[in-house]
Amino acid sequence: MIYMAMATGFLLILIGFYGALTNRNLLRMIVAFTLANTGVNIVIVAIGYMHGRTAPILDAAVTASAAAARIIDPVPQALVLTAIVIGLGVTALMLAYAYKLYERKGTLDIAQYTDLKW
Amino acid sequence: MIKRFITLLLLAGIGAIFASLLFTYVPDSELNRTADYYAGHTASDIGAANIVTAIIVTYRGLDTLGEVTVLFLASSIVGLVLSLGQKQHKTQRNRVAVGELLTTGSRFLAPLIMLLGVYVFVNGHLTPGGGFQGGAIIASGMLLLLLADPLRHFSHTLIATLESFSGLSYVALGVLGLFMAGGFLDNRILPTGTLGELISAGAIPLIYSLIGLKVGAEFSSMLASLSETEDLK
Amino acid sequence: MVNALYLIVAALTAAFLLGFLNPARRSAAYTITLLALTFMSCVSASWVWEFAVNNAAPVDIFTAGTEPPFAINLRMGLHEAALTLLVNLTGLLSALYLKDALFALGRRGMAVLLVAVMALCGIILTRDIFNLFVFFELAVISTAGLMLFSDDSRALAAGFKYLIVSQVLSVFFLIGIIFAYHATGTLNIDGMAEASLGMKTGGSIAFFMLFIAVVAELKPFPANGWALDIYESAHPAFAAIFSAATGAAAIYATDKLLLIGGAEWLPISTGIGIVTFLAANLLALPQTNDRRLLAYSSIAQTGLILAVLGQRDILGDSAPFIAGGLLFSHAIAKAGLYWLSGLIAGRELADWAILRSRPLLIFAFVTFIAMLSGLPPFPGFYAKWELVHMLAGEGRLALLAFILIGALIEAAYLFRWFGYIIKREQTDQTIACTPFQITPILAAVVGGWALGLVWGDLSASHFGQSNLLLALPLLFALSFLLLDWLPAWVKNTLAIAGMVAFFTLTYAEYDPLRLIFAIIFLIGGAIIFLASYDAHGRRIGFYPAAMLMYAGLTMLIRATDTFGFFAAWELLTLGSYFLILRGKRSEPHALSYVIFSLGGAFLILAGFALAAQGAPQFDLTSLSQLTQPLAPWVFLLLAIGFMTKTAAIGLHIWLPGAHSEAETDVSPMVSGILLKAGLFGLMVLLMSMGKQQLYGVELTHVLLWIGALSALLGNLMAIFEEDAKRLLAYSSIGQMGYALFGLALMNHLGWLMALMFVINHYIYKSMLFLSAGGVAKRTGTRDMYKMGGLITLMPLSFIATLIGIIAVSGVPPLSGFGGRWIFYNAILTTDYRLPMIIIFFAGPIAFLYLFRLIHTIFLGQLKDEHRKLKEAPFWIILPQMIFVALLMIFAMFPGLALRRVDTYLNQFFPEGGLSWAGNTITSSYGYWNPIAIMIIVCVIFGTLFAWLLFVNRRAQKVKQFNIVFSAERPFRPETTHYAWNFFAPYRKALGFLVQPFATRFWGTLTDLLHTTADLTRRLYDGNGQSYVFHLFAFIVVVYLMRIGV
Repeated sequence: MIYMAMATGFLLILIGFYGALTNRNLLRMIVAFTLANTGVNIVIVAIGYMHGRTAPILDAAVTASAAAARIIDPVPQALVLTAIVIGLGVTALMLAYAYKLYERKGTLDIAQYTDLKW
Repeated sequence: MIKRFITLLLLAGIGAIFASLLFTYVPDSELNRTADYYAGHTASDIGAANIVTAIIVTYRGLDTLGEVTVLFLASSIVGLVLSLGQKQHKTQRNRVAVGELLTTGSRFLAPLIMLLGVYVFVNGHLTPGGGFQGGAIIASGMLLLLLADPLRHFSHTLIATLESFSGLSYVALGVLGLFMAGGFLDNRILPTGTLGELISAGAIPLIYSLIGLKVGAEFSSMLASLSETEDLK
Repeated sequence: MVNALYLIVAALTAAFLLGFLNPARRSAAYTITLLALTFMSCVSASWVWEFAVNNAAPVDIFTAGTEPPFAINLRMGLHEAALTLLVNLTGLLSALYLKDALFALGRRGMAVLLVAVMALCGIILTRDIFNLFVFFELAVISTAGLMLFSDDSRALAAGFKYLIVSQVLSVFFLIGIIFAYHATGTLNIDGMAEASLGMKTGGSIAFFMLFIAVVAELKPFPANGWALDIYESAHPAFAAIFSAATGAAAIYATDKLLLIGGAEWLPISTGIGIVTFLAANLLALPQTNDRRLLAYSSIAQTGLILAVLGQRDILGDSAPFIAGGLLFSHAIAKAGLYWLSGLIAGRELADWAILRSRPLLIFAFVTFIAMLSGLPPFPGFYAKWELVHMLAGEGRLALLAFILIGALIEAAYLFRWFGYIIKREQTDQTIACTPFQITPILAAVVGGWALGLVWGDLSASHFGQSNLLLALPLLFALSFLLLDWLPAWVKNTLAIAGMVAFFTLTYAEYDPLRLIFAIIFLIGGAIIFLASYDAHGRRIGFYPAAMLMYAGLTMLIRATDTFGFFAAWELLTLGSYFLILRGKRSEPHALSYVIFSLGGAFLILAGFALAAQGAPQFDLTSLSQLTQPLAPWVFLLLAIGFMTKTAAIGLHIWLPGAHSEAETDVSPMVSGILLKAGLFGLMVLLMSMGKQQLYGVELTHVLLWIGALSALLGNLMAIFEEDAKRLLAYSSIGQMGYALFGLALMNHLGWLMALMFVINHYIYKSMLFLSAGGVAKRTGTRDMYKMGGLITLMPLSFIATLIGIIAVSGVPPLSGFGGRWIFYNAILTTDYRLPMIIIFFAGPIAFLYLFRLIHTIFLGQLKDEHRKLKEAPFWIILPQMIFVALLMIFAMFPGLALRRVDTYLNQFFPEGGLSWAGNTITSSYGYWNPIAIMIIVCVIFGTLFAWLLFVNRRAQKVKQFNIVFSAERPFRPETTHYAWNFFAPYRKALGFLVQPFATRFWGTLTDLLHTTADLTRRLYDGNGQSYVFHLFAFIVVVYLMRIGV
């Protein structure tokens, strides 16, 4: 189960990278990176997963004293939240950039933005 | 053709790196040192039922402050980028016909969505969810309103004030931790209360509410900036 | 002390506060921004003080009231304090510089700037790997935001490219973090290091990913196209932050990461670093855009520092001193240069010529490029010295060579740029700048010098070197920077007084050998300065340069250890470079001079380092204790290094242009005086190391050959010259050849003869350059065929020239003959037949060119346009007359100078000394009585002259003859002068010897470098996708290298 999730995550990353390397359209590249980010998030969550355990929330079923034996690793869960938020921030930023670039030059083809080189 | 081949070759290389991670991966059967500490100490030290929340708001509070700053930064820059070289006079945009269903539905749903958002961040220390989730829900309410009336104008001043207020209070709570508790962003500036109650876990509900407000404000600000752009041919 | 957390709190508070303000209240928002940045700088500064002065222990700062590794902690130590100070000050100064842009973008722009600075501080302070990631992302996003400050429309695309790359990196960072966490059970950096991540299952790959994500921020070759675009298109003030502050933070992050990775990741860091250093410097060569050039240089410097971090296994505790020296030099200089670039309207390197309207800015520029090139007295110099020594001590010679090659290329393009500034045509615009823009630049200058003092102090206390900025000669030279507003004659008087005074105070301290050099450098220099009274106005820049050279020369002879010697060597090189560059058309020549000199200096540095074998301090005299197999290599490196200064054949191509294009009073300085520095070096070398054999070849024998060939070819090249000053310059190559030959003979008389040449060459070459310069000044040309018949108009110049050439050619009665006499005695005592024959040949050739100086310039027909010429100015004639007197005295009483040296040489070469009895000097082959010879020659000459007058008493004066103009208009006027191409038949016969082989060789080498660079840089095609492609290739290659495929 963990391996499946992790493999899926890695595969998503690779698909994302492939998309980013082969699509010249800015928007498609952004989507490709979103895909890769999702893959990363899956991998992170998968690392924290432990078979047969439950969510790291204390209640009547999971008491504080029994928590260590009952819950999954809470740290990756905390990290993934941060990762998601940061990914979202960057994506929003890239979209705004893409919009502005298109407004200025009228194309979304990344190969057209090569004024700076060498 | 050659380029695509090299691309595949490079990705195969990256894939190989991933694969070696995957194949050498051995799942833990016990919680590691850090997680074990959190499992054992959260209830007594922090007083939050949701351990993830305790980690996010307190133990790794500095990350979260950074995270909120990321959103603040992103929304500021989105605003900057989109206003770049913009002419002062706004061209009159055509009203886009939106369906009756959306308009009526949004009137009914938006307040409920907002309420849900508030519920999610206020209860962040008890149940799954928290400031980010709640903030996102609030922003989705805003999105619905925008969809129903694309010309609706949100007050940037209001959003900015909200942003600043929540951000400043967050930082101020953090600094209070330096003086009144064990360190920056320590939640124990307020009593930790009884585990599982709404008013418990020290400053966590307060901080998470501020985060919720802040996140909601940032998302709304981005949405507002984006909605004010013009359609490009 | 203020808790370091307030660095973060202050920035965030200010950024959030801005939101409350009405967007229109720009100045209030700006004030808040500046206050926050000032506060942050003060916090950092107070910590620096605490650690550096009070020696406080590093402080760990816990958050959330929980101890690490369960909560995030920060650390404030000396390194963190210094780096955050750098970051905050760069931020503050850039905020000043950015005033207009910040006002235009409003409070959101200011918030972005504040967060950017905060994020960089966070990267430096945090001890948690995930927290590091968060701060990194903040830095990335704010970088994208700060790109909007630029007026350049291409900046947006550059920002987008950066975001693309950073997306890939964040994927690797996160995967790395989560697997590292899984392997070690902690996110704390120190915890991971303790758990030795690399040892755990999958830990090594996890670390690899972390490593890649952080190292990629250091812009490694070839995955750095995005960075170049950012640098080129960003607002210069942001480029300053990006280079100085972001770079520093990323380097420190790498340093922390290497803590986790451990020793096995060091070699790969070094590899990436040095490849980047070399590649970026090479690719910078064909750049014409200033900001892109600086971008390449930034990348190169960062690469060098990465390479240094990778050497921490041998650098140990010195690593912070070295890496810090390089880092701070780079950061301050780069920030300063980017700020400067904002004042320049054009983007071509040559557009910077406009700086000439502001001498202060030129000084700033010089400070910055000297810092980048690692010249004394800046931190980079001390760092380079220790680095090279430690590398040599551990036998990491390949790395050492790469570092020196890269540094030489970097110096080449920086000094080329400086040449453009000083020499290229200036547009008539002036620099428009506000105090807000000037302040940061001046602050960087002050910071650079202050750090020079600090690093000198550290170097003195830790490694036993001396703090150069406390050396009296250098201080004296630098004081002329402050006095540059005075009129030239005042400064000239001060300079002369200073040099004479210094000599009077110290002359007792020198041994006889050094005394000769001290007299030439200080007293001789003062005499040449008399000619400088001829200059009018303020002569901005001349005195600091000249005095820097003299300071270097003085420190050179006073140096006792290799460090002092090398520092002096670099100072005199720098000073003389500035002097040479002052000539009208000297741009290319000054450049080749400085490149050859720095190349030579690097060889010397390598030689010293090799000799020291890791010892922090090494006395010059200890060179004699070196043994095989090291000794010959040290000898070789040092000898080649010194020979670049004496312009031995093959390394000579800089000399003719540099000496001839220099100003009238500068030519004698760089010829008569500066060349002696090389000879002094060779003397020190030969005196301590003596004969060395490499693969069975006697190295002094090789020097002998080089000396002989230099003498022959230098003289040959001189005879075909039409330009009087170039002729003299080539003649110097020949003369230095003689001196080298004499030294390489390695016997008593050879050395005595070399010393004789040192003295003679100073006198007659200074004199001849002055008279040629004086004539050129009056006639407006240096081409001899355009002159003629000046004897009556410029009799004093004529006398000086006549005496000069008699002395040079070594005929009786003047001192040149004494030189020859000792010389022939010397070679008769050895058995190197072939070089001896060559050097014999060189003698008569000297006649051929020397007599042309008289014959073409002063004799023959006066040109029409020269009829109203006056004698050269008084101040140029005066030193010539002094030299005439000196020559006469030295010719009659050579013992004044040589006798003590002769005795002194006995300790090295007990055999074959001369015996001095009365006026007679006796060798094993014969005797020489200078006074008797003088009398005899004068009598003969006087008799002949009287007879000639008698015979010619009725001679008619020939009037202007212009037969060549009859009936035809000459196509090339020079062909009508009988002295043009005077030695055409000789050229036919011997021309093959003077083919510009050396020039062609060096030319081809530079062309090759340029072409390679030009082709390679096409890699950066500007497409964001290609940059991602490069990044992936980089990752895969590093991975393959890591697992050792």
